[in-house]
Amino acid sequence: METEVKDQIVSIEKPEISAPPNWEPVIMGILCNWCSYAGSDLTGTSRIQYPPNIRIIRVPCSSRVDPWFLIKSLQTTADGVLVSGCHPGDCHYISGNYYARRRFLVTKKLLNFVGFHENRIQFSWVSAAEGPKFAKVVAKVTEEIKRLGPLHLYKKENFEK
Amino acid sequence: MDYTKQIQEIASRLFAEEKIDVFVGYRTTGFDENQVPVLIRDPQEVSRLVFNDKSVFNLSNYLKHEHTRNKRVGLIVKGCDSRSLNLLLTENQVKREKLYVVGIACDGVVDETGQKMQNCMECIVPDAVVYDEMLGSPKGVKDYIVNADIHELGSKELTERRAYFEEVFENCIRCNACRHSCPLCYCAKCCIDQETSTLYHGANTTSSAFHALMTWSLHLAGRCVDCRNCEKACPSHLPLHLLHKWNERVIYENFQEHLAGVNEGDRGAFYKYSLQDPDDFIM
Repeated sequence: METEVKDQIVSIEKPEISAPPNWEPVIMGILCNWCSYAGSDLTGTSRIQYPPNIRIIRVPCSSRVDPWFLIKSLQTTADGVLVSGCHPGDCHYISGNYYARRRFLVTKKLLNFVGFHENRIQFSWVSAAEGPKFAKVVAKVTEEIKRLGPLHLYKKENFEK
Repeated sequence: MDYTKQIQEIASRLFAEEKIDVFVGYRTTGFDENQVPVLIRDPQEVSRLVFNDKSVFNLSNYLKHEHTRNKRVGLIVKGCDSRSLNLLLTENQVKREKLYVVGIACDGVVDETGQKMQNCMECIVPDAVVYDEMLGSPKGVKDYIVNADIHELGSKELTERRAYFEEVFENCIRCNACRHSCPLCYCAKCCIDQETSTLYHGANTTSSAFHALMTWSLHLAGRCVDCRNCEKACPSHLPLHLLHKWNERVIYENFQEHLAGVNEGDRGAFYKYSLQDPDDFIM
């Protein structure tokens, strides 16, 4: 039992909050239809293992990702967010990911400013051919967020009502 | 800075020439020196207009008002107000030919205590950029200064920043006065009013305040002109400028020194892109 207490994971933003035993993070994955979603499909069909903590939403393009999606997922259940789209220059809609890139930078910096660890909001470019890369990215993000601990964003007040 | 006489003359001239239906200006409250906006429709009432360094509000907000919509409007704009007017013109919210704009080369305005406002100390564009007639002597564009508050808060630890903003969100009462007072929030149906989500409606919780303020500030990122109408309107005196100034700094430093509404035809930072935008934060 002692070792369990020693290894207890605490939230990096609020050290007074610790994770329950056997805590697993919930990660919101928002993937672009043309590259990253196909890439994650390839990961599955290639039988490459990746952590099951990620919950995937498919969007038409990474520029469909309103910063609101990230705020909403962090506010409700997610401990971290991963947004993934086509590599620059590969966008199905020519320039969608360039617009998205600007929004991602500002969103990430703003959320960091108001007190979220910067690694809770992650972005990646994964093409349809990069199955192993997708598995690697998910593993890396999951490991990172396990280290950061639970987000506990005003959740209590929501669920008590 | 006292242009009361000139503005009264201009307004009565415009009414006499039948160039405008409404003149949007400032009047004193009648109780103290503080000023409130006023819509003048009757040429007899022109004498109520005042303009001095207590004229703090951004009048371009009144262009979404029912009494000014589709009418010929006379309007006073300071430097920051003219930037928001510029954005409204670019975003096709108002028609330039229906406006008569009295631009001010602004020396800065004062708050209730008589101190010069912080945004005026850091002002980059004190002269009106859109005008038909200019009052005062132009001062030109100044250098960009990083806001002292965000410099201080940004250098603090993560846990401190989290605790600070948690208190800010706790104190928000979700009255949406910030949104109503913002000249660039003109949507007829605002996304933070939608009723499909129980976590997003007007419930007065820390969580909903976090959600609403974050969404609101990101909708204004790259468009906010730092007129601080929102802060003046906030009944809880929340430091809303922190969010906007932070975004402004990130955008200025990363996206080719973008400043909202300074040049005619400029859109917000999120309406355009560059191949040289930073990519190092993406895996």
